[in-house]
Amino acid sequence: MAVGLTLIFGVMRVVNFAHGDMMVWGMYVTFLLASRAGVDPYVAFGAAAAALFVLGLVVQRGLVDRVLDAPHEMQILLMLGVALILENTALLAFGPEPTRARSTLAAATIWLGPVFVDVARLIAFGVALALTAALWLFLFRTELGRLMRATADNTFGALVIGTDVRRVYAVAFGVGAACVGAAGALVAPILPWEPATGLSLSVASFNIVIIGGMGSLLGAFVGGLLVSVAESLGAVFLQPSLKELASFSLLILILLFRPAGLFGNGRDG
Amino acid sequence: MALTRLSRRMFLNTTATGAALGFAPRALRAQPATFKLGVIHPVTGPLAEPGQACRLGAQMAADAINAAGGIKSLGGMKLELLLGDTQTKPDLGRLEAERVVNQGARMLMGSFDSGSTAAMVSVAQQKRVPFLVDIAAADPITANVAKAVKDGQQKVQYVYRNFPTGSSFGRLAVRYFNEIFAAARVAPRRVVLMYTNDLFGQNQSKGFIAAHKAASPSWEIVEVIPWSEPPSDLSTEVSRAKAAKPDVIAPITRPASAQLLLPEIRKQRVEVMGIVGPGSPGLYEAGQLAALKDDLEYVMDNVPSWPNFKKARTQAVAEEYRKRSGGKTFDTNSVASYDGMLTIADVLERAGREALADPDGPEAIVEAMKKTNVKDILAVAAGPVVFNEIGDNPNASTAMIQILGQKPVVVWPRDAAVQKFVFPRPKV
Repeated sequence: MAVGLTLIFGVMRVVNFAHGDMMVWGMYVTFLLASRAGVDPYVAFGAAAAALFVLGLVVQRGLVDRVLDAPHEMQILLMLGVALILENTALLAFGPEPTRARSTLAAATIWLGPVFVDVARLIAFGVALALTAALWLFLFRTELGRLMRATADNTFGALVIGTDVRRVYAVAFGVGAACVGAAGALVAPILPWEPATGLSLSVASFNIVIIGGMGSLLGAFVGGLLVSVAESLGAVFLQPSLKELASFSLLILILLFRPAGLFGNGRDG
Repeated sequence: MALTRLSRRMFLNTTATGAALGFAPRALRAQPATFKLGVIHPVTGPLAEPGQACRLGAQMAADAINAAGGIKSLGGMKLELLLGDTQTKPDLGRLEAERVVNQGARMLMGSFDSGSTAAMVSVAQQKRVPFLVDIAAADPITANVAKAVKDGQQKVQYVYRNFPTGSSFGRLAVRYFNEIFAAARVAPRRVVLMYTNDLFGQNQSKGFIAAHKAASPSWEIVEVIPWSEPPSDLSTEVSRAKAAKPDVIAPITRPASAQLLLPEIRKQRVEVMGIVGPGSPGLYEAGQLAALKDDLEYVMDNVPSWPNFKKARTQAVAEEYRKRSGGKTFDTNSVASYDGMLTIADVLERAGREALADPDGPEAIVEAMKKTNVKDILAVAAGPVVFNEIGDNPNASTAMIQILGQKPVVVWPRDAAVQKFVFPRPKV
């Protein structure tokens, strides 16, 4: 979830406030495939990623591309508008009730003595790990990935050497959206959602990305782990209803002592 | 511009009519075509399903009243509902109440969750708009206003409630727990209370704990576990509950948290005699049954205002509700709003034209509200709808339902039960 957000920011310096709502649409695509065509959510995650890639591409080419040079507040307003449209379209299409994608695998648990491992979360973790690794390989081992990094580092320089920067931006936004679409599919069997869930998912993503460092893939991954562990420990050692206190305290500490995040380079921090 | 010549006859007619209207009682001068009611519920957001059930219940009751000739003491005036949506955000209760009042609402009804209902109370009191709470359990909603009136800080109480309070929920829940345990001839010792940490959940849990303390039964509440609503994960909370070795888990949920909690209890293999809710949504609605399926089987919940299906009228309304809702069950939420609208119609019939008087109409409605005694309602209740000095209906009661064969059925109290309960539940 956070990897997609950090990729889009890293390449374009655009904060995608519609990120959570895009994830919700990834969940609905998974739900549709599961409920109408009987496709298991873990099989449907490729389709959800592909659908969100297209959505990301359309949003970038149709909207974001026009405000790339505009002040930040214009970009923020635009993305908030996209978030509202996505949320309300989901409301019209699917209604307001909480939804959940059912999967046989998601109901399974592995017991190791008294300790149990939730298979759904294990799969989500494993696939997230694999996707992050794949994204790293894409960025560091492919021509398009190198162009993306070049554009992120120095847009003018990339233009000078003949890079089609608009194409790079479109693909980066598409890949970022595909990441969040895949994340939506992976959590759809675990987390019940409804159209308004997008905002809380966006907030969670921002928390993770700011802790890890805006624009850093590794930061997004480590940030996600830190937030999860902090909340779990918070639920054990504090009141369970205060567990978010642990993750947001972590955020405040990072902002105070390392504003660029754990792995951020400080350019935009 | 063409000028019309004013004839002597036209002048006399006009002035005579004007004079007659001038001396007529104020209520007759500007009688509206309809009696506008603000009906506010959470029809979007996490509480959308019960909120929509409330809205449809209220609309059906208003349609039935209008079809039967409207409010007869007001010359057959029809009820017009000005609908509002809190979006499950407590602060929007106030904004929506202000909006419908500005559009002409003379009374308010709503609003399902205690947070938004509490926000509506201030509008009702400030703008002198009688407010019937159809669903919302937190005790302070009426108690604070009653106290303010008693202390002389406010002149009139405009807020009344036809719904069990959190404390009465708790008392009845503890009583039903004891009676069901005794009837099943089992003696659970350890109960873990898990609740959503919003105003409703806090109030329900406080009521349950206080009632438990007062009754001092043979079972103990060994752990109390709150969570923030809506939660993204309840695995740690369930692990904590499991570590407390419970015989019974008593959850106070919302629909979204119920969808996380029940599968998690199954996944972590928490072996309990039963999951018995002291009273909350999320454990019996059609959408929840479709989403949770077997995870809801044998779950019990202490619900207010369950439809009394032994009445032919309730059965007829339930059938109409099924058709108008696309196949949903007439349940605790829809019947509460339906009965709320019936109560409002009864109040207006008794208030008569005084209800429309300016400026004392609201007080006339309040006077009629205080003398309410409505027997012909559709919900299971301990008696007719009446309001005590706090503004609550002491006869508003609850029933213990259980999901059996994927349907919610009343299993307790014994005289209202339509099926025998299953407790302890079969081991998986």
